[in-house]
Amino acid sequence: MDSQMMTGNLAAAWGARLADVDYIPAFPITPQTEIVEALAKWCARGEVAARFVSMDSEHSMMTAAGAAEVAGARVFTATSSQGLLHAFEVLYSISGWRAPLVLVNVSRALAAPITLESDHNDVLAARDAGFLQIHAETCQEVLDSILMAYRIAEDERIMLPVIVNLDGFTLSFTREPVSLPDPEMVRRFLPPFRPSHLGFTASSAQALGVAVIGGTSYAYFRHQVHLAARNALEVHGEAAESFHALFGRRYDLVEGYRLEDADDVLVMTNAGASKGKAAVDAARTQGKRVGLLRLRVIRPWPAEAIRQALRGRRGVAVLDQNLAPGQGGILYQEVAACLYHEPARPRALCSFIGGLGGQNLSAGEFHAIVEQTAEAGVAGSGLGPVLLYSAEEHREMTQLQMLAGGHA
Amino acid sequence: MVAVRFHGRGGQGAKTASRILGTAAFLSGYVAQDSPIYGAERRGAPVAAFTRFGREPIRERGAITHPDVVVVADASLLEDPGARVLEGARAQTVLFVNSSLSPDALRAHLSLPEQVMTRDVTGIALQQLGQREAISALLGAVAARLVGLEWEPVRQAITRELEDLAVAPPVIEKNLTVAKQCYDSVEPTGLHKGGGQVISAAALHNPIYEPPTKGTARISAAGNSVLRETGGWRTFRPVLVAGKCNGCWLCFVYCPDGVIAMNQDDRPVVDYAHCKGCQICVHECPTHALVAEREQEGGEAWTAK
Repeated sequence: MDSQMMTGNLAAAWGARLADVDYIPAFPITPQTEIVEALAKWCARGEVAARFVSMDSEHSMMTAAGAAEVAGARVFTATSSQGLLHAFEVLYSISGWRAPLVLVNVSRALAAPITLESDHNDVLAARDAGFLQIHAETCQEVLDSILMAYRIAEDERIMLPVIVNLDGFTLSFTREPVSLPDPEMVRRFLPPFRPSHLGFTASSAQALGVAVIGGTSYAYFRHQVHLAARNALEVHGEAAESFHALFGRRYDLVEGYRLEDADDVLVMTNAGASKGKAAVDAARTQGKRVGLLRLRVIRPWPAEAIRQALRGRRGVAVLDQNLAPGQGGILYQEVAACLYHEPARPRALCSFIGGLGGQNLSAGEFHAIVEQTAEAGVAGSGLGPVLLYSAEEHREMTQLQMLAGGHA
Repeated sequence: MVAVRFHGRGGQGAKTASRILGTAAFLSGYVAQDSPIYGAERRGAPVAAFTRFGREPIRERGAITHPDVVVVADASLLEDPGARVLEGARAQTVLFVNSSLSPDALRAHLSLPEQVMTRDVTGIALQQLGQREAISALLGAVAARLVGLEWEPVRQAITRELEDLAVAPPVIEKNLTVAKQCYDSVEPTGLHKGGGQVISAAALHNPIYEPPTKGTARISAAGNSVLRETGGWRTFRPVLVAGKCNGCWLCFVYCPDGVIAMNQDDRPVVDYAHCKGCQICVHECPTHALVAEREQEGGEAWTAK
């Protein structure tokens, strides 16, 4: 298969193109804009047979996306950060309509203070919105995950929207080789969208998102969203199997890296996991038995896969690239919860917060994480949340504060 | 604890009546709680409100499922299954109905608890206050008397609650006068309070996934709103005065619910099963050919589904 150099954003656009989407409502925001620019260009040239519409905000964009999806169109859209939050209330409507569109979120830290680089507070804010979530590590995985996302979303056992997440800058603007799947094989992988409960026919009108005063009906429908999301654990496996058979690449709910004999395990997500793997390799050269577990599917939460990967370990460090103020790492909480009833749960579960707003994590910091986690595992007591901040960063920040205060 | 449930239609003051009772109980030294429940806030649609009071802290919230007293602000609700007026009522539950009919007349075609009282509160309001909506103070006063509260805290409660609604002081005075008449027209009842039942664990259903055609909040049955007859929402109905209509179709245009059809002679035909009695057509008719007539109890508006 021929590969070519492309950014994560272009890979995302190719995902939408190969999925043969019908409708693309768009609104620009850094670091996502390149996705919709590429799609706009292809639509204008007639290379993509989709209707491309520039909207007046992300709120309008998501509303149009959901409306087109319930009319029976296959819909793609993309946003980031503040844009995702601006569209937030619509997310819950779309999952409630059981409208299986695919939304790419390019992670960018939230204001204030305003910044452009990545962390995951934006996408994790949407973790309870009824969207499934797939977090990608590479540009190839971005493209492949979009194809898998449509296949899973449009399954009658699911019918829920999916967010495919990639990191701003470290993936969105980063070029690396990406293999473009053959369109004919994609058609075999992804059958046409023919939902049984959606579609627009003038002779048989239907009302969606109707009012259900009193909790009985409401609870029923929310339970259904939950059960549909749970079904995705199995349907994802089927899609992964089929994808692997056709394209030779295999994606599971979680990815284990050098876990076989690992005493201690780092748990990470997204593009930062590449650096985590390098840290594992570095620790291995020093004779430390360290591995990495990358959480790829965040919703549904792959509790059983996580338990299997972490049972019997000595120390486990969850490295959250997000921060819930007053609480700590968001994924740490979820990992801890699913290990509670595991008889052979790790001796120590440690929480590290790093990479906020694209903050760099040095090899030395990874080294410190590995050391502290091993110590915690030996001691059998957890750690954290540790707010990762190097002495060098602290010096730099102190200088900036002096400048900002006029004391330079 | 005493639990009083009010049923009314949006705009009749069931919620304010529940607040008057709540405040009156509070001013009487009880621990009190009141709350309403309603859907989209539509005039005429069924609403309910709940007042609880007692000597001990109240460990309940939300709807009263086993009322000691039920106060019904609009007799047509008795026949509306959606309003669930008699739900959870026991044989000992006291039922007060705003109706010009006698309890026996109501019993003729309804299964009601043993203690039923009726008063034509709407008639009193129309006669003495000139407004059909303004019955909250009157219902609150009746309810307070039924549960044995003194008049003075009731008087204060009416004043406070109506002031809260920015009702003008002279109107509040008139309300107080009429409310006192209503208060005096009933006697405190012996309340046989519920409780003491043995609670067993509920049978739980384990939800399973259903296909999206069932599991999505959608309605695909076309035109089923016609099944929900809203004629019971009316206090007044529009009636055509023969000979005055000029066939201008304005009533047809203005009707917000599309329940006015025009016949071959360009005359309006009102669908009384669904007309909510908003009287916009009466207001807009340039020749005063449509007039408002008060609904008669037991008439068409009472048997709406």
